[in-house]
Order: sequence, then structure tokens, then C-alpha cells
Amino acid sequence: MANIREIQSRINSVKDTMKITNAMYMISSSKMTQAKKKLADTEPYFYGLQGEISRILRHLPELKHRFFDQRGKIPKEERKIGSIVITADKGLAGAYNHNIVKVEEEILAKPGIHKLFVVGELGRHYFSKRGVEIDTNFRYTVQKPTMHRARDISGAIIDQFLDGELDEVYVVYTRMENSVQADAEVMKLLPLERADFNVMKMPLNMYREEIDLYPSAEDVMDRIVPNYVNGMIYGALVEAYASEHNARMMAMKSATDSAQSLIKELSILYNRARQAAITQEITEVCAGARAQQKK
Amino acid sequence: METFGLKIIASDRVFYDGRCLSLVIPAPDGEKGILPRHENMVIAIDVGIARMELEECKWTEVAVGTGFAEIVNNRVTLLVDTAERPEEIDIRRAQEQRDRAEEQMRQKQSIQEYYHTQASLARAMNRLRLAQDKKWNL
Repeated sequence: MANIREIQSRINSVKDTMKITNAMYMISSSKMTQAKKKLADTEPYFYGLQGEISRILRHLPELKHRFFDQRGKIPKEERKIGSIVITADKGLAGAYNHNIVKVEEEILAKPGIHKLFVVGELGRHYFSKRGVEIDTNFRYTVQKPTMHRARDISGAIIDQFLDGELDEVYVVYTRMENSVQADAEVMKLLPLERADFNVMKMPLNMYREEIDLYPSAEDVMDRIVPNYVNGMIYGALVEAYASEHNARMMAMKSATDSAQSLIKELSILYNRARQAAITQEITEVCAGARAQQKK
Repeated sequence: METFGLKIIASDRVFYDGRCLSLVIPAPDGEKGILPRHENMVIAIDVGIARMELEECKWTEVAVGTGFAEIVNNRVTLLVDTAERPEEIDIRRAQEQRDRAEEQMRQKQSIQEYYHTQASLARAMNRLRLAQDKKWNL
């Protein structure tokens, strides 16, 4: 049996660690509530944009626009594929980062010229070691997602897309299903696909209201699409932020729980050791006394 | 008087949801007025000041960012990236934003950065234009 002092120091160290995990748990839970609120605030805007694009597409099925250009002529091997990967800045969040990395690896395995835009320190480390091309000007953290940051990111992405430096853009992020489930997910950002905006099939004889686009369809799309991309990125950032903190919260909760059970076990051991030491001392004292009496 | 349904959705909140008598919005080539029973339309919106008449002869000014307005069946939906009332604008912050943008404009930058600063400058100037002459800021 280990000696008392060893067990005592072990208990103390577990207790210290528990304090940290518990604090992180509470920080994450408060950050998550904020993130959830942010997400709920932007949802009307986001769904409004999505609905609007689908409405315009419905009314102008022949509309051609540079954001809808699939660039089908470029062969698979030469397509430049960009992915925005949203990871956490640090670990200690269970399988959160691992899941994202795994999904991104699947994309990297496909043919094409890949380029990564990594948000979050941890992912940047991982992919730079793996030797994939990473856009080095792209340094954003995942803490406190703001519209401003989303605008920066989407500006850079749209610019590269229009210049032909990218042919396809994906976002890899974690979507929060509910408070216990979060899935790593790939979302295609550009070029936009008509199928994404579930174009309603309407009977031919139905009257459709006519919608005028002012000043022109192109102008309106030019305004809607960047905003839409911006909104998508912002949504992804906030979702990822919320699920990161959810993952961290759960990881820290289970760490705190296991620390508690460890402390319980250790204190039983400690008490046993203490009891054994006392018993031994008593036996020694008794034996000594008896030896004295016999004299 | 006749009214129409108006909903202004900014990227961070639903700014206004209710009835409105008439609305003036900044389109790319000048202001556009919308009255009840307007034709169905989608109009692009530039950074600028929109005015809405919620009660007769009572106009409310709103600083809006880029986006668009959609008019369908006497309902108007404005989807803009920012929407602020004059009393919500922090003059000091807007001034700082303008100064920062002007400073960046003077430096050498890529075309993309240039557009970015330009947009930021436009937003700052727009905020200042709306808030500066209000009596609580004098």
C-alpha cells in the first residue's frame, strides 16, 4: 500500500486539476449561451436571404450569373478547390477538432488542387505539418465571431473566386444539432447551385406574380450573393463557436466527474492507509507495554 | 390612410416589423420612394439613409448598409447588413472608424483592400451624416 503522504499529494493534485476543469466548464457554458443567442439573432436575416435567392431563381429561371457558373469545362484534376476549415484555437474539447480534421482529410483525398483557409490555431498547426498549401494571409481566430470578421473572410474568398484562383469553395465546420449532438459538416459555398435553393415545382397553368428587379437582375444578385456568402460564413463561424464550447463543456464536465470519482477512490485508500498506520502504532505501543510488564 | 407591411431585417436583429405609410430607400442611382400597393419589385440598396413614415408626417430615419428591398403583395421586406437609428449611433466610434479608413486609404493597398476600406469609409460617413446634426449631439 502506498504511503499516506503520496496519496495525500495525489489527492491534492487531482483537486487542483478539478478546479481548472470546473472553471473551464463554467466559462464554456456561459460562452455557449452567448453564441446561441447570437445565432438566434441572425437567423431571420439568413433565412430571408436564402428565401429571396430561391424566389428570384424561381421567377428568372434563365438567369445567368457569375456566382452560378459551375465552370464545368475545367477537368477534375485541375480544379482549384478551397476549403475554409473552422477548428478551435486550443484542444481540451473532446473529439471536436479531430472530427473536423477527419472531414477535411476526406476532401483533401479527392482530385484537384487544394488550398486551405484555416480559422483556428489548432487546425493551422495540424495542416501546416501535413504540408498542404495554406493561405498565410488568412489569420483569424475563432473567438467571438463578428460580422466584421465574416465580411473580411467572405471578401477574400469571393475575390479569389471571381479572379479564377478558386473554382470551388467549401466550408468545413461543426453544426450543432442539439445540446448533446454536433456533427462535422461540409457545406458548398461557391459556386451556388440552383438545387440548393429547393426551387419549387409549380403547375404550368398557375399565375405567377411578376417581379421587377431594379436596377437590373445582375445588380440585385451582385448585392444579394456576397451578403448571402457573408451570412453563410458568419453562420458557420457562430455554429462552430457554439459547438466548440458545447464540446468543451461536455469534455470538462466528464473530466470533473471523473476527477470526483478519482478523489473518492483515493480518499478511501487514504483512510485505509491511515487506519493501517494507526492500528500498527497501537499494536506497537501495546507490544511495547506488554514487554515492559513482563520484566 | 393606406398602409403596407414593413419588415426591416438587419444581420444581427429584426430592426422593425409593423405597418408603414411610406418609405424612401437609397437605391444605387438615387432615392426610391415606396407607397402602398407598389408594384412587385426587388430593389438593390446602397449604403445610405432610409426614411420611413410610420405615422402621418412623422418620419423616422434609419442608417442602412448594403442589401436589398423586396416588395411582394403590398409587403415590403428590407434585408440589409446594418440598420441603425440616429440615437443608436456612437458619434465617437463613427469618427474613429472614418479616421481609420481615411488613414488606410492613404497607404498603398491591394484593390481588394481598397474596396474594403472604401466600403468601411462609406458606412462611417453615412453614420456621421445621420447622427451629426441631431440635437443631442450638438
